[in-house]
This record gives sequence, C-alpha cells and structure tokens, in this order.
Amino acid sequence: MSDTAVDTQESTQEVPKVVSSRFDVDDGHTLHGYTQSGSFEGYAALRRALTMTPGAVSELVKDATLLGRGGAGFPAGVKWGFCAPDVWPRYVVANGDESEPGTYKDRLLMERDPHQLIEGSLIAAYAIGAAQVFLYVRGEMPHAQERIAAALNEAYEANFIGKNILGTDFSVDIVLTFGAGAYIVGEETALIESLEGNRGMPRLKPPFFPAAKGLYMMPTIVNNIETLSNLPWLLSHGVREYRSIGTEASPGTRLIALSGDVERPGVYEVPQGTTTFRELFESERYGGGIRGGRELKMFIPGGASAPWFFPEQVDLPLEGRVVGAEGSMLGSGAVVVMDDTTDAVRACWRLVRFFARESCGKCTPCREGTVWEERILRRILDGQGRPSDLDLLLDVADNISPGPYPLAAHPEAGLEAVPFPPRQTTICPLGPSSVAPITSAISRFRHEFEGKINRKDSIPVTSAGVTSV
Amino acid sequence: MRDIEITEPVEITLNGELVTAQNGELLIDACERNGSYIPRFCYHSRLTPVGMCRMCLVEVDTGRGPALQPSCMIPVSDGMGVDTESDGVAKAQDGVLEFLLANHPLDCPVCDKGGECPLQDQAYAYGPGESRFVEEKRHNEKPIPISELVLLDRERCILCDRCTRFADEVAGDPLIHFIHRGSHTEVNTFPGEPFASYFSGNTVQICPVGALTASPYRFKARPWDLEETESTCTRCSVGCRVVVESSRNKVLRLQGVDSDPVNWSWLCDKGRFGFQAGNSGNRLSRPLQRCESGELSEVGWNTALDSAASVISAAIAGRGPQSVAVLGGARLTNESAYSWAKLAKDVIGTDNVDCQLGDGLPAELVLGLPGASIDEVCEPGATVLYLGPDAKEELPILYLRLRHAADFDGVKIVEVGPTLTGLSPYAAESVTAVPGETPSVLAALLDGTSEHVEASALLRNASDLKVVIGRANLAEDEAITVQTADLIRESVPGATFLPALRRANVRGALEAGLAPGFLPGGATLAGTLPTGWQSMPAERGGGAAEILEDAANGRVDVLILLGSDPLRDFPDRSLARRALAGAKTVISIDPFVNASAEQADLVLAASMFSESAGTTTSLEGRVTALNQLVTPPGTARDDWMIAVDLADRLGADLGVETSADDLAEEMAGFSDAHVVLGDGAPVGDGVMLDISGRDLLTSAEVEVPPANAYSLRLVLNRTMYDKGTLLEESESSAGLAGESVVKLSAADAAPLGVDGSTQVKVTSEHGSVTVAATIDSRVPKGVAVMHHALGDVDAGTLLVHGDPVCDVRVEVS
Amino acid sequence: MGYLDGFKVTLRKWAGVNTDTGRRVTTEYPEEVRPKPARFHGRHVLNRYEDGMEKCIGCELCAGVCPADCIYVRGSDNDPENPTSPGERFGFTYEINYLRCIHCDLCVEACPTQAITESKLFEFAFTNRSDAIYTKAELLVGDDGRPRQMPWENWDGGFDPAQDTSGWMRATSSGGFAEFEGLVAWAGELGYGVRAPEGGQTSEQAGAEAAAADAAEDEHGGH
Repeated sequence: MSDTAVDTQESTQEVPKVVSSRFDVDDGHTLHGYTQSGSFEGYAALRRALTMTPGAVSELVKDATLLGRGGAGFPAGVKWGFCAPDVWPRYVVANGDESEPGTYKDRLLMERDPHQLIEGSLIAAYAIGAAQVFLYVRGEMPHAQERIAAALNEAYEANFIGKNILGTDFSVDIVLTFGAGAYIVGEETALIESLEGNRGMPRLKPPFFPAAKGLYMMPTIVNNIETLSNLPWLLSHGVREYRSIGTEASPGTRLIALSGDVERPGVYEVPQGTTTFRELFESERYGGGIRGGRELKMFIPGGASAPWFFPEQVDLPLEGRVVGAEGSMLGSGAVVVMDDTTDAVRACWRLVRFFARESCGKCTPCREGTVWEERILRRILDGQGRPSDLDLLLDVADNISPGPYPLAAHPEAGLEAVPFPPRQTTICPLGPSSVAPITSAISRFRHEFEGKINRKDSIPVTSAGVTSV
Repeated sequence: MRDIEITEPVEITLNGELVTAQNGELLIDACERNGSYIPRFCYHSRLTPVGMCRMCLVEVDTGRGPALQPSCMIPVSDGMGVDTESDGVAKAQDGVLEFLLANHPLDCPVCDKGGECPLQDQAYAYGPGESRFVEEKRHNEKPIPISELVLLDRERCILCDRCTRFADEVAGDPLIHFIHRGSHTEVNTFPGEPFASYFSGNTVQICPVGALTASPYRFKARPWDLEETESTCTRCSVGCRVVVESSRNKVLRLQGVDSDPVNWSWLCDKGRFGFQAGNSGNRLSRPLQRCESGELSEVGWNTALDSAASVISAAIAGRGPQSVAVLGGARLTNESAYSWAKLAKDVIGTDNVDCQLGDGLPAELVLGLPGASIDEVCEPGATVLYLGPDAKEELPILYLRLRHAADFDGVKIVEVGPTLTGLSPYAAESVTAVPGETPSVLAALLDGTSEHVEASALLRNASDLKVVIGRANLAEDEAITVQTADLIRESVPGATFLPALRRANVRGALEAGLAPGFLPGGATLAGTLPTGWQSMPAERGGGAAEILEDAANGRVDVLILLGSDPLRDFPDRSLARRALAGAKTVISIDPFVNASAEQADLVLAASMFSESAGTTTSLEGRVTALNQLVTPPGTARDDWMIAVDLADRLGADLGVETSADDLAEEMAGFSDAHVVLGDGAPVGDGVMLDISGRDLLTSAEVEVPPANAYSLRLVLNRTMYDKGTLLEESESSAGLAGESVVKLSAADAAPLGVDGSTQVKVTSEHGSVTVAATIDSRVPKGVAVMHHALGDVDAGTLLVHGDPVCDVRVEVS
Repeated sequence: MGYLDGFKVTLRKWAGVNTDTGRRVTTEYPEEVRPKPARFHGRHVLNRYEDGMEKCIGCELCAGVCPADCIYVRGSDNDPENPTSPGERFGFTYEINYLRCIHCDLCVEACPTQAITESKLFEFAFTNRSDAIYTKAELLVGDDGRPRQMPWENWDGGFDPAQDTSGWMRATSSGGFAEFEGLVAWAGELGYGVRAPEGGQTSEQAGAEAAAADAAEDEHGGH
C-alpha cells in the first residue's frame, strides 16, 4: 500500500465521541455510570426534550440531519414526519437485530451503553407521540439482553420510563423483545411481523410503509440502535455542535465495525465524510494497516450486502452519499478488508451462502435464486464448474436484481461506477444483496473463476481468516 | 377475476393504450379485464394479496421511470402507466418461472394436477424450455397426510401461501402454516395437530400445483377424462354452486363455482366429498318388496308400482284419502316435489303431507316472513340477529359468509342462542338464553331492559335489522321459534329474515306445496285450484308430528316416506318408532335402505344428486339448476317418474309427456322463477323467488315451565359429521362422526363430579341414556348439550314432541 | 383413351411373367412369410424394469393421446411396502381394444416411462369382442420380458418374441434428453430382445452421457 498522505489535519484533531463515550467505562452500562461519565450527562437530554414540544424535538432532529444508521441512511427526522397524521396509537421500534456478517457496532451500544439507547428511544417516542417503545434485540445477544433488561429496571425505578415521566404528563412503556435468530428480521417490515408474533417475513412496500401501516397496522417508526443512541448527545449539545462534525450533507459520526485483514480490527467512531477508507485502514488510531503489510485486494464498505470496493476506491470518504454514487453503500457500517491472499471465488461463495441460508422463503426469486447461486459457486469451488456457469450465475443474479447492478468503477477495464441501489424482483433487499458479491467478484476477478472452471482447481486458496466451510 | 360494476372509472395507460378501470381495484384485475392477462400463482381474488410468487410483476411508471411491481398488490389510480409486455417484464416473468421450476419435480405424469395445472400451463408460456438447473432437486417425503382428506406433497409446493391464507382468513382454522425458512420452507401442520378443518377441501381446489391432493380423487382420473356440468350442492340448504365432474358414468369430484351471491367458490368438505354416497355399493338399483318370509327382496318396477297403487287405492276406498300420508320431499328437485304434491293433494286427495321432519320451521314462517338474501344479510355495515343453529356445523358456507362479513365488512352479528357456536368468536355480541327463554331474553334486548347493554344497543340502533332464524335446539318446541319471530316482527317492523333451514330443498318443497294446508306457490287450501289440477284436499291435514302420531295410533293406512328417514331424523325417536310400527303399509322412496326403509313394506329405488335434472331452491329462495351427469344405478329412477307412474295406476295423468320439463312448464303457473327458467336463459347464479313474504303468519304463545333447580335443560343440535345415511355411505366421511357425548358447563360439571370423560346417565321424564360427559366452555350453565343422530346413543328418546322444552337430570353412573 | 392407361400395368405383368418388371408379389401366406419391416407396428406389450417392477405409472397419457380412443387406463396408489411400479402411482387398469386400435404408435410416443411399446405381432384374430380387449394381465410381459401368448394369437407365422418384441421407436425426445430430439432411436432398454442402435444412431452415446451426468449429479447431492 502506498504510505502517502493520510489527511493529517483530521487525524490530529480530537474526534468527539458522540455515541461511544462510555465504551471504555467499566460501569457505563449502569444508571450511575451513565449519569456520571461520558460525553454528555445521562438523561439530561430527556429532561431537556420534555421541556420542548414534541414538534420542536422533531424539528431539531430534522435540522441536525441525523441520518439513519441502519443501512439506507434516510434522515430520521424526515422519517418521523411520515407518521400518518391523527392516527393513534403510534409505536417506536428500536431495531437491534444486528446480524449482518461483520457488523457488531449495535451490539456494543447495547452492551456498553444501554441507557443511552433507552434515553434515545424515549426522546423519539416523545417526539412522535408514541405510547410504547419496543426494543427488539437479536436472539443471539444474551449479554446485550441482560444489560438492557437491567438498565430498563433501573430506568423504570428512576421514573425515566413509565407513567408521568419525571413529573410530566408524558407516559411511555418500553418493551424488550428478543429475536429468534433470523437475519431477515433486521428488515423493518419483517421485524414488525416478528414483533406481532408471526414469521419474520417482510411485508410489501407499498402499501405497508411502517410509518403509515406498521406494527398492528398502526404508524410505527423503526430506527436503528445507533440512530437512537445519537439522540441524547444531539439534544445535550445541540444542532450546531452536531453539525460541526462530519460534512454538511452527512453530519455527525458513524460507528464503523472494522474487520478482516487489518492489524487492529474493532469498532471505531469516525466523523462522517471527512474520514477516508485509507485513513480507516492505515491510521494508527483505527486499523493500523493491512495485516502483515500485505496488499489490499478488496474491501466491503458497508456490510455483506454491499458491493465490493477495490484499491481504486480506497481514498473515498466514509460518507453514504458518495459511496452510493460510487457503486456501493455504507450500509450497516461494517467494513471488511481482504488482502491479496483472499480467494475471491471462495469469499464470494461464503457471502452468498449467508444470504441463501438467511432467505426467509417468502418470495420466489430470493428463495430459489440465492440457493441456486450458492450451489453454482460451490460447484465451481469444487472443481465441477462448467464454462457456461459464469453466464448462468450472472443471469440468475439478473433475475433477482434486473438490470445493471451497482458496481465500483474500474478505470483499467473501462468500467464506470453503477450507483446504488439495485433494482429488485423481490419483496425486500435480501435477495438482491446476494448479487453484490457475485457481480463484484466476477467483474474484477473473472480470471479466478475461469481458472477454477477450466483447470478444475478444487483446492481453493484460503486466506488465514476464512477457514470454516 | 370477478366481474364488477365500474362505479368510479379511472383511465390508465396499459401497454400504451388508454383503458378504463375501477379506481382502487388491483392492477392485475384491471389488466385482465382490459385484455391483458397477467400470469399469477399466489393471487386469488377471494384472498388478501401477498405478492409472494412474483409471477405477476409488471412495469409501473413511478414517475422516476418504470419499476417492476407485483400487479396483485398495486391498486389502480388515475393516470397510472403500466407495461405488461415489455422486455423487462418478460425477463422477470421468465426468471420467476424458472425459479419455480428449479426445485419442482417433473412428475406431471403421476401428478393429479397434471393437465389442469397452472404451473404446467404457464411453463409453456414463460421460462426457458429446458432447465439450466443441473443440481439435485429438493427432496421430501412424498405425500404426507395433513388431515383425513388432504395429502401434502411438499416437493411440488411452490409456497404461494394460498392454502395457508385460506385456512387463516377464510376458514378461520389456521392449522397449516410455513415452517423452516429459505429454500427449506414448507407448509405443514403443527406436529400432531392435523388440518382438521371442515373446509380443508378448498385448499386442494385453490392449490396452483399438485401439492395438495384430496384422497377421494387421488389417482382416480386425469383431467381430460372428466365430463363436467354445473349444478348445485344439495347437502344443505345454502345452495352452493358446484361443478360436478365424472368419468365413465361415475361422479369423481366436485369443485366450487365462484358464485358471487352464494358460495364464493368455497365448499364444505361434507358437500365436496359427499358425492361418494352416490357411488356406494349399497345403492338401491331395483325396488324391494317385503316377501312372505319377511325379507325385503328385489322385484320389478311393475310389480312394485302395482302393489303401491293398490294399497293406496284400497286406503282411499277404505278410510278415505286422509289415511294416506306423505312424509319428506326436501331431498327432491322442485319438479319432483311438485309432482308429488300434485299426486298427494290432487290425485290422492290427502293433506297429510309434510316435507320436514319436526326439525324445521313451520311452512307459515318460511313462506310468510319477509325474506333477506345471503348477500343482504352480509351487506357491509349490516346488523344481524342470529337465532339459528350452529352455522359452522349445519350451514357451513353461510358460516363462511357471515365470518367474512364480520371480519372484513364490519357486519355486527348479535347471536342469541342456547350455547355459544362456531360463529361466536366473530359475533359482536353473544347472548345465551336457556332453552325456552329465547323470547323473553330477546324481548328484553329489544326493549332495552336487558343487562346485555351492548347487544341491546346494537339491535335497537340497527336501521335495517337482518334476522337469521332457525332451530338452534331440536329439543325445544318449534312454537317457541314462531313466538320469537312474532316478537321480532312486532318490535322491529322492518326486520327481514333468512330462514336457517335444515335440508337442501325444504324451501322448494314448501313452495311446491309439500306442507299441510298448502298448495303450490304458497297458496292455502282456501285459495283457488291451481292450473292443471282437478281437485284439492277437502280438509287440512297434519304436519310430520301429527302424521306420526296418527300412524302410531293406527290411523294411517299408507305412510309414504319420500326420501326421509324419521327413525334417524325425527327428534322424538320413540314416536317415530311407534309410527313406523303402527302404519299399515310403509312405502319408502329412497336411494338407500335406510333405518326407516328397513321397516318398510316396499322400497322404491330413487335417483340421487347428479343423476336427475331439475332445479332446487336454497334457503334464501334462490332457484338454481341441478344437472344430470350420470345415470342412476340399475333401474333406479327419478322421484317424479315414480309419481307419474303411480298417478297413472291411480287413473290420473300428472300432465307429463316426456320429461320433468313438462312439470317445470306447469310450475310456471305459480312460480315466477320457473317463468324465467322456462325462457331457456342460462341459469348461472339462479333466479330469486319473490321473498317479500306472504300474509300467512300466525302467532304462538308458549307456556314454558320454570326450570327445576335440580335439572338441566337439554339442547339437541347437530354436528357436521353425524351418522346420517348419506354421510355413512360416503367413503371419506364415514369415519368422521364423533362419539355421542353430553356436554356440560364447568359450573354444572363440578358438583356432579364430572371431569374429562366420565360416563353419566342422562334422564328425562321420558327416558334415559348413558353417555360420556365432557366439559365444554361453549355450554352455559343450566344447559346440557347432546348431538342429534350421532352414534348409538339415542338422545331422541329423552324428549316428547310437543313439550316446550326438555329438562334432564345428569348423574354419574 | 385415358381409361385404358390403367390396364398398362396389368398388361405389363402378363407380358413379363418371371421378369423383373412382372415379378410376382403374392406369397403363399401363411406357409410362406415375409420378413416384417423393422418399424412394424403390431400388438402392444407393457414392459417391466429389470427388477420386475412395472414401468407403467398409470398416467393415462397414452389413453389421452389415442386417436381411436381404444386405451383405458386407471391409476392407483402403490403400496409403499410392496410397490407395483416405482413411485406413488401404478397402472391399476390397462386395457386396449384391438377392434379400435389403428396401431399409430402415438401411445408409444406419449409414454413417459417407455412402458408401452409395440411388438411386431399382427396375427391375432378373435371370435368374440371381449377377447379383443386386451387387459393389463394380457399385455404385461413376464419377468423374463417375454410377452404372454393369447390362445388366438398365431406366433408360428414368423413372430419371434426375442426379435420382435422390444424394438420400439419414437420420433420425439425420450426421457427428456435433448440428444434424442428429432432422432428415431432404438431404446437401449432392458428386457427382451434388445437391439443394437441403427446406423448413425446415438442412443448409446447419449445414454452413456446421460448416465455420466446422472452420476455427476449424485455426487453433488451430497453437499
């Protein structure tokens, strides 16, 4: 890798910790820790919000351009405004079903700072007038569940939740629910189905936009854990200070779960838009360089469902808008780095297998298509590939996500970037997500596939990180 | 797609042309109506759309360019631009079909759906001709039974959600659902809990592949073998329209027709699979006569008819025409019923004629009350007072319609009856009234003095009250029902009534005159002589109870059982027994030697459903066609032919030259429906009779004895599957009748020491039976429920006809 | 004089007895029999697999395609413990009415399992109508693949069950293999009197390829 200009100005400046300020505090998860430590005073934001009108809180969040951190990056304040007017009751759902490979930022927020999440949820509930908040925590995160449960008990006792919160006439209940182990439930309509006690299968948008017809067919705001966790800091410090971090279009920070072939994988809070992927990988504060000083082969900028980026894209800033235009997405904030020992075919298969296994089975293209893709890739890996398989694979992918699929530019091959998002024949984006690794890998590493097919190399090159089958 | 009337037209651009559609209707329907059929698997016009199969993807202009959207989920709006034929649409549909076929087994030659399979058909139009899927297909155990009647082949399933949606939304029995996920998703039941729904056969009909098959039709024929005709189901009085399908002169399958005013394409399993009785080996193929040894033995028709005519002549000559009695006729077509009414009342001259068996409503009520059709009862926003038997058990498709009305159309059902029923979960209010007290409970509800404030308010605020009236309890005298109807008419003058009748063509038989005191067309004996008639009975005769009473007392010389089985069906079992013993000669006209026919002196073999043509009249007064598809076994013949032959031997001419059409022509004299039908117009959904009511109503005042503190009031009602002859003779339903039980409330059971299935002795003034007792949460305190015609325990021996109610004592035996 | 033209053939035969043009075509049948053409359509047989299972699955496609409507088939459930044919369904009733059969072979074309084929036997004459309706028991070959001889069938006139039973042909793709498309092929089927493919046929190659493909698929099944 080149060792040129990491943006020195950014790296020397102290990065404000908006949501991760209590990650290193031992008792940050307790009410005591929450009020006594961190970058803002615990529950002060709620007190402040309660002095404002709900409309003013919404307005404040809208002014701050708090972008959703779940994947789509839609401004939270605008989303809140979509609630069908004069329809009651309304609900707030905190989406803690974080299960995309490589994504583990929400888990830390829930384990290390549950009160921050609770306070954020309360502010959101106050802003839209919800009577109930549902915290939906992934089934495989027992530690987070326990910490949140304990925090809820504390908060109830301190009258932060319940009837007449802090002496006002604002009352809200928070219900903690656990998932049953399905990635698809991270999709908001599937999460709503799951909350209702049904199979976690997505509803079709339109007509089931949660803000109009959500939980129990009532207006429902589903927000990511990180989005809600931003609210206490935002209300404590105000819009101006919030907007001073990051860029004009994408203010604030993002939690990035960095994994793969870097020296220092982990969750880092970075200012949006002003940090580049190169800085993330190489600066000592973050990744600390590609592991073992090897070459970067490719990286996934936003979780398993994001199209891959390659060394050409390494100087792009971590900003949803820019990354989207360049053919991928920042998504769930999971950045997976793969060095030059990685077998592209195997990496591709490994990702597709995840989607094939996690397809909910509701709509045909995803149910049948993802498994078909996985089996073709498996066959190629096993040395049983056919020359026609690559075209078949791309055509099957095209039947799930028709038309040009988002792709990073490759100037050498004369390929231009195809901007995000992809089109789909499916109900939700899970099926099209399985296409991302396929089109990315074939566009760049077709020769690796062809090698496997023509030479019947049945023993894949395995990077140190990918061992299990 | 259903035909609709376009009330709110909007213009959309369909493949570049401006067309008109109904605002808000689904795009898939609008396109089809305008000549562009969109392929689909999961969409069904009677189920809520889910957009799962993705076959119906079309390009809709979103303003940001065309986007692929499932047309089954998109409501039409003005100015919408749709392309159903673009390359993108074709590619998407080809892709979806290839996906569906990827794991679908190619066992079409052995699959019952092969030849009529939507997936097979669409595979010709969409998708590549050859599979690119070289991997091993998904394998599952080949058909697994999910109920007594339905088999599931998970390999063939394309997961369209139709059966599961049907079970949940329409039938209200969500007993099947998806399990597992992704490509392992399958439909299945909860382990150990079969899909025991009364409506399970519908899932087979709507399955777009051969994943669900019904055991009665399994491997019996291929679709191209089948001859078919539209007809009407005659297993109850709802009058569901069906397609009857046969091969080689044998009925093999019934399918529901999507008749908008009646059954919406659904059928109950009893109706769907009940045709099997016609194929039973026990069918009578020739007449039987009791010979000197006392056995019934086969005789020729001439012998049989001669002897029937001679006993009738002798009876007329002896004690006069009233010594001949005709019981039954609700099984018959309208035309046959008319021929029998004419034979009995004109030729023989007796008025001792009743088509019901003491378990129905008086003719005065059915013919006299201002009527409401099923559609009117289920009209969105209506308020319905439900006073009938458990619709789920007795009138299953009416139950589905009411259930839909309550769940989707905001119809408020106020149920007043002796127990809670299958309808109770969907009723806005359920008020229980101990047998005998329905009139007083209802009076309180209607005048606002009832403690059931919500129910009372609903009834009192209803602008246009619809009443479903019937016999919820056979142990309660029918006079109480008359009193109830009387009360409603007095308190709510505008109320209209839907009679919850028991047998298929009761209404038609009553219209034809098979009731004491009546002539065809609801005319009374006081009226003029009907066209084509020579005479009418001199005096009014008796109903079923009086006829049986007379017979028991030796006053009936010839008792003709016209497709009726009083030994099984008349509630007062001992009276029926005495009557059959007391009648001098019993002639049974039936397709089977049923319990009563076994006691008869002469049994004439009659034809059955789909063996004779004619019309039938449903409970709402809808006259629909019954068509012939197969021939009756042996020399069995239509009931009207028997009437014509008997009349001939009695020296009269019923006016039939060639066929039952001659009867239909004559019936046009009193039945407007037959005028319409006579024009040869396609019958389709049928013709409604004038149901505005006639001036026939009488009132009744019943003195109900106060309930004894130590006794329970008996409720005798029916279940869908009982030991009736037709059910017993149908292979698939023969084993489905439950065991006899007495059902008690927990409150009554506890002091008796009843828990689970204790054997108890149920004693009334008139008899006692020993039976297992169970606790049922639907039974209110003070009531004991037994089921009619179920098992060997004869609940009918507990009661005596004419008693207002039947009080019983339950003791652990 | 056009109508005399027709006599030219007759005259030529008269004139040239024992020459090539006047060669006698009448043989002393039944003492003398001519060899039957390779694709002769005679009475049908119902075949079995090597293990004795019946090939017929009772799908009724033969009956459906029959232009003379002479085939009557009804299927039934296989007893899983003691199956008659592989799979769920077997041909419970199978009847061919030879008073109506026109030996068009469309039934053979339609059969998805190659259960029904035609032999070269044509010498059968009945004295009553019920004999003309061959039942399943009569059509089904024995365990050795040998057809059953009916009393009214003449097998002496040159019908050799070993030679004349198994050869079947169809013009459409058999077993779904595209390699067969448009080819007339002799089946490499198991049974009685297996014949070598005709010149230029590819059934064996195709068969071998298909078998290899199947084997490859089986391997994948494990994953």
